[in-house]
Amino acid sequence: MSPPAVSDAQLIARVLVQDDRHAFGELVRRHQSTVRACLRKLTCGNAALADDLAQETFLLAYRNLKSFRQEAKFSTWLYRIAYNAFLADARKMKESTLPDNLEPEMVEDVAEPAPVARAATLKIDLERAMAVLSDEERAAIVQCYHNDLSHEEAARVLGCPVGTVKTHVFRAKQKLRARLGAWAPAE
Amino acid sequence: MMSKDTQPLASDDWLEQALRADARDHLAAYLPDDGFTARVLGQLPRPAAVPAWRRTFVFALWAIVAVAVLAALPIWFDDVFRNAAALIVGQRFRLSDLAMLLALFGAVTWSALFFAARTE
Repeated sequence: MSPPAVSDAQLIARVLVQDDRHAFGELVRRHQSTVRACLRKLTCGNAALADDLAQETFLLAYRNLKSFRQEAKFSTWLYRIAYNAFLADARKMKESTLPDNLEPEMVEDVAEPAPVARAATLKIDLERAMAVLSDEERAAIVQCYHNDLSHEEAARVLGCPVGTVKTHVFRAKQKLRARLGAWAPAE
Repeated sequence: MMSKDTQPLASDDWLEQALRADARDHLAAYLPDDGFTARVLGQLPRPAAVPAWRRTFVFALWAIVAVAVLAALPIWFDDVFRNAAALIVGQRFRLSDLAMLLALFGAVTWSALFFAARTE
């Protein structure tokens, strides 16, 4: 894909100087897919909630655009706002709902399906297993793998030290390995 | 695609591959806008604009001030002119003083013109 004629920085400048709504609309159009997809991962596939949070993310981005210092990429800044919106919502949900003891099903036996079907089944199991992770662990996996950020960038998004990101990724993978044990090749 | 820092370990190679495959699908998938941008733009706060009645009010206020200044101006002008004339008439000027004054005035004018016409 060829780079856009107008850069994000130019669009941001137009929004800040002239309050150009069209420029902000272009920014939303460019980044809506990645932000919504990232939030879908964080909310374990809840598309409606992810879209609500994405909307909130862009509104917050508009209000706080002055504080964006262009040190990081605009998308990284958006991921940070999206993650904070997700955390705030998760906290609200925890306060308003009673804790349930429903544990996601453990992946027990995996029959030997065809390779394509096997990959699809593993993908579904992986998505289910992601729900077992804590919000922080899931966010670390999403930023490092799905958003393809380095540990430093992920640390900036998650607002924690790099070491903590590495620990979250390590623990997340331990949990996933335990959950998806049936998929491990026989030694 | 993969995070630059994530080193796959031999023991969890299968998990690493599964996460990579999932990440590849995630990065490749594009969510169509489906009116999302329009919804966001619809939620933005309205642009700050001066209401029509306020513009008229401000204009009327300035008009009143302008009329008041214009009405008072002849009196002020008369006062200033009389004082200046009294000051000048009260002084004893020699021809050399006047010449000096003219030279000074000319120098200031030419300097100002030169400064204004200079190229950056």
